Formats: sequence, C-alpha cells, structure tokens
Amino acid sequence: MGLRTTGFSGVRKIWFLALWIFTIYLTYLYTSGHPKDTDSSSSFINRDIMMVKNAQEYHYNPDQKTPHANSRELPVIFIGGMPRSGTTLMRTMLDAHDDIRCGQETRVIPRLLFMRNNWIRSSKEKKRLEEAGVLPGVLDEAVSQFILEIILNHGEPAKHYCNKDPFTLKATTYLHELFPNAKFLLMLRDGRATAHSIISRKVTIAGFDITSYRDVLTKWNKAMELINGQCQQVGTKYCLPVHYEKLVLQPLSETKRIFKFLNIPWSENVMHHEKHMSDIQLSKLEKSTDQVQRPLYLDALTSWFGHIPEDVERDMAKIAPMLSKLGYDPYNPRPNFGEPDEFIKKLVAGNSSSVH
Amino acid sequence: MRTSPAGRLLLTCICSFVFPLFLLPILEYNSEHDEMKFDFHDRRNMELIFIGGMHRSGTTLMRTMLDAHDDIRCGPEIAVITDVLFLREEISNDPVIASYLSNIDVYPEITDNAVAQFILEVIIRHGPPAIRYCNKDPFQMKYSKYLHNLFPNAKFVLMIRDGRAMTHSIISRKLKIWKYNIDSYRETLSIWNENIEIMYKQCIELGDKTCLLVHYEQLILQPVSTTKKLFKFMGIPWSSAVLHHEKYTNESDFSTAEVSTDQVSKPLYLAGLTQWFGNIPEDVEKDMMKIAPMLSVLGYNPEDKTPNYGEPDEFVKAKVIVFLFLLFSLYIHFCIIPIFLVSILKKSSSFFSPV
Repeated sequence: MGLRTTGFSGVRKIWFLALWIFTIYLTYLYTSGHPKDTDSSSSFINRDIMMVKNAQEYHYNPDQKTPHANSRELPVIFIGGMPRSGTTLMRTMLDAHDDIRCGQETRVIPRLLFMRNNWIRSSKEKKRLEEAGVLPGVLDEAVSQFILEIILNHGEPAKHYCNKDPFTLKATTYLHELFPNAKFLLMLRDGRATAHSIISRKVTIAGFDITSYRDVLTKWNKAMELINGQCQQVGTKYCLPVHYEKLVLQPLSETKRIFKFLNIPWSENVMHHEKHMSDIQLSKLEKSTDQVQRPLYLDALTSWFGHIPEDVERDMAKIAPMLSKLGYDPYNPRPNFGEPDEFIKKLVAGNSSSVH
Repeated sequence: MRTSPAGRLLLTCICSFVFPLFLLPILEYNSEHDEMKFDFHDRRNMELIFIGGMHRSGTTLMRTMLDAHDDIRCGPEIAVITDVLFLREEISNDPVIASYLSNIDVYPEITDNAVAQFILEVIIRHGPPAIRYCNKDPFQMKYSKYLHNLFPNAKFVLMIRDGRAMTHSIISRKLKIWKYNIDSYRETLSIWNENIEIMYKQCIELGDKTCLLVHYEQLILQPVSTTKKLFKFMGIPWSSAVLHHEKYTNESDFSTAEVSTDQVSKPLYLAGLTQWFGNIPEDVEKDMMKIAPMLSVLGYNPEDKTPNYGEPDEFVKAKVIVFLFLLFSLYIHFCIIPIFLVSILKKSSSFFSPV
C-alpha cells in the first residue's frame, strides 16, 4: 500500500517496539489501579497479596478483645436422661440446696444443640460455614455464650449453676468440650416404668408413638444407647449415672454419693425438697410439677406392674437390650428394686395416712 | 506535511491510550476519614449493619461495596444466624415456656440476650476485626423488627429490585435456592411478592432513621449519590473505595453459598438491569398486577415491559467511556500494530536478502 517503509531504519524499529511495549505497560498499570491510590493499597496485585495474607494470618483467637461476661470455665451441672426418669426430682432436690440453682427446663438449649448438630453433620454445610469464616471454634464460642446466657440468667444467681433439660445429655461429649469443668448427672430408670409413665400421662415426645408400648420401648432403647454411650465416653470423673429407683429408696446414701461427685458439701435440705418450695421455681406446664411438690414417695416404682402388654413383655429382651445393660431384669415383670433406707421407712410410716 | 507511518502510529497510540488517563481525575473522589472510637463494653448497643432483601437483589454487591471500605467488615454470608432467629420464633410459640409460674417477663428477655450473644459472637469472630461490623443475609430482613429489639443501635439496609428481573435471574441461572420454582415465573414472582411485602412492612415500621431502602437499579446507575446517601444514613464517612469494589475483592472472600461471586468481581454490572426484557411469559405479564402488587408499591411499573430505570451518572458514564477506550487501545495494540510490525519486518527482510 502507500506505506513508505523502505526508509525505516533499525533504530526507529527499536524505538517503535519500545513505544508499543510501553503503552501496553501503561494499560496494565491503569487496570491495576493508578499509582495515585493511598499508601495502604497500591496495585491490584499488591492488594491481592495483602488480602490473601490477611486471610491466612487471621485465625480464631480465643483471647481476642471481645470480652464476654460468661466464662466457659464455669462448672455447670447438667442433669438429663430420658424424660420421665426422675430428672425433675433430681433438679428439685438440688434446688433445695442453698448454694445450687437449677430452675425450670429451658427447652431452648436442647433445640440449639440439635440445630448445631445439623449444621455440622452435613459435610457440605460444614464446608460452607468454614468458607464463610465460621470455623468450629467460632461456632463453639457462639453456642457456649448462648447456653451460658440462658443458664445464668433464667433464675436467681447462685454459687453453683445447674441446668436440667432431659435431652441435653444426647450431646454430653460436645458439652464437655464447650465446658471442660462441667459435670453431668444421668438419670436412669427401668425403661418399662418410663414407658408406662409416658403413655399413661400422655407425654408427647417427638418421634414417639405414645399409643404403643413396643414403639416407646424401642425408641427408649435407642436413645438410652446414645445417651449412655456419651456418658461413658466422658468418663466417671465428669458423668455420674444415677438410678431413680435407688434415689427414692436410699436417698441418704445416694445424695451423699452425688454430692461427693459434684464436689459440693451435702446439705440436709436435699432430703426435704418439699419443704423448700418457695426457693424452687416450678412450671405450671411441666409434667412432674404436681409430683415434686410431694415428699419422696415409692409408688412410681411399681405403678407400671401389669400394664405392659403380653406380647411386649415376651419380646422385652429383644426390644430393649439396654435394660439388662443398665442393670435391670427384662425377664422379671415385677422386679424388686431394693430395700428402702431408714429415712424412707420413717417417711412412709409418717405419711401412711396421707397416701396419694 | 505528510506524516510518516511511524508518526501516525505514534499518534494512534497516544489517542487510544493517553486520553483515558486524562479522564481518571473525574473518577477519583477523595475523602478523609478520622479514626472512630469503639467501645466493646455494652455489646448489644453496637452499631451493627444488617443487609438483606430478596435473593438476586444486589445484597452481595452491597456487602462487597461496604467491605471495600476500610472501616467496615461484612464478610461472606453465614447461614446459622437466620436459623437461630427462626429457632427463637419457634420457641416463642411454645406454651410451656410462655407459662412459667414465676416471673413471666424474665423469659423472653433472657432468650433475647442469648440470641444476641450468639449472633454477636458469630459476626465478630468470623472475620478480621473492624470498626463497624456488618452482616449480610437475604432473609434476616424478615426479622428486622426483632433484630432491632436485640440491637437498638443497628442500621438496616433493605435491597430492593424489580421482581421481574430477580425472577428472570433465578430462572435463567437455574438457581435451586430456597423454595423458588425454576420452572414457573408465576410462582417465583408470587414468592417474591409475598416475602418482599413482609420485609418492606417491617422496614417502613422501623422508620428511615433505622432502615434504609436501596433500589438495586439506582445503586448501579447512580452509584455516587446512592452510596453517599447510604453512608450518610449509616453515619460513616464516604470513601471512593466503595465505587471500585472489584479491586478490593479476592476469591477467598466469598463462600460458595453466595451465587453472585462471579458477578461482583466485575465492575458495576449494568447488563443485569435489562436482561429480563422480553423473557416474561405472556400470561404472566398480563396478570402482573395481580401476581405482584408489590411492584407498584416499590415504585416499579408492572405494566411497562421495558422500563427505564434512570440515567447513569457521571461516574458510570466515564467508566463506560474508559472501558470503550480500553477496548480500542487493546485492539490497536494487539491487532493493528502487529500487522504493521509484520509488514515492516517483511519489507526489511527483503531489504537484507541478497539481491
């Protein structure tokens, strides 16, 4: 064409090439943010590196300057087990002690624990959370603060705090991680008695068909396996199984054993919880409220005798193997749980006229 | 005087490249901000910022722009906060809790405190420390009134977008999120309508000092004035960094839950405004007023099939011009010049070859 390139010398070519490269460099400079930027962020690349560095250096710091009122070192007492296993009785007796405050079921703590379990159970959800910066440590801190807020503030301040929500003990190992000084009281009871109590009192529990002994006992067995397993995992230093039957037959020795485990001085008050009702918060709608207002009694030990359907009795060992594991006899439809101690004998004699 | 080819080329380079540099001063808005004092003492009185709105309404863009500001940190979306808010709602309907013998007032208050502490822990700890903390979750605006109870000094930003655009975004991208039906414009629009109404009502009730409505279209077309208004509302000095958010983001800042990741890495994205034109089925268009009455409440025209959302401001216009110049200069540099180079080299090689 009309390009007179024959006169194009080598030097000019080099200049030309240099100019081309220079303008490309200028274009690159522009897209990466012009040098006029503030000192904290020069080019795109630098900012990138800085952000990556920030992302890597920041990790969850438990001493980070966000003060919270509540310490996870608190030696909280957690009471739980299957519903209708004496959990309310246990917490009422503890409440009678001057230094301990349990209060009512919170009902919200087990729900949060269940929700947390859902968050981390699915590996996809867990990964998503971690990508958003919600590392396990962050979530644990948030869950602990939630639980502590509820436990500490839903009743009067006390020297020792306690919480009773039956199904919290499905998360014993996790709670032990959150609160390394916490102690757990697992209430155990003959599954047949528990089943009878649930069915006769029409206590609704999610997933339980309360028209069928077979179903209730099967679900009881499954839950007990989980709860008992967790209790054994944290060890006897932190989790103490307490048999309801023993508690009501031999309260003196049992409560002394419990207080030794809790490392709290025993008090006479716990034997007379019904006399300290003014200090104990009750809920109108909790199923055991009417019962714990009475002194210790033995009727519940045997009220289920004869109520279990024949076919269920026959398959008992197959339906509920946890019975024998926990020390109960699945083949005996009318077991003897033991002898009452002096205190109970006196109580029964004294109240023989005011039988419920 | 006849310009030599080299001279012409030089001129082309200058024109295609240097001009954009002259436009840069228009794009640069400088502002100074002083250190803000912060007190962790009473955590529930923290001035948090909550961003929400329906999905695909610019919530991720908004939080990315705020993240570009030195003082603010939002971070990626966290799923657990709305779960806990939902839990709180559930238990407030639980009759046993509502009927405790002793002191009925105590219970709601302690649960509120517990929920607040949970939310604070997660927001504060899931990312680097900052002067103002912020959280973005589309559906947390369904709980804005409750959140206002928990955090009386918090500010709320409700992102609003034309429901038709939002629906098209979900359906064209086949986003199986929440309960949107990716096969039905009608159903998705109704869901949009139902939920935006809840959010809108709460936002209005909270008042304009607490809750600010931001139209996505305005944010894109008039970013300077919209962001300045937003920062005035939040009580934070404006910074030009928010207009250049794509320079301050990095892949690691986003979680996979945020579907908009690829979009916010590009400069303010204008195409999203009109992509839905002509894509709404006829029968849905006809019933638009009945399916989505919130459209008119929010200032959109349900009967206009190709609405004009407004004019772009100087900043956006300049960006478009610069972008075009950039394209042009790239064309010159990588197409035209190499062709010249090759032809020059060919000619000169013939100059060197033996005659």
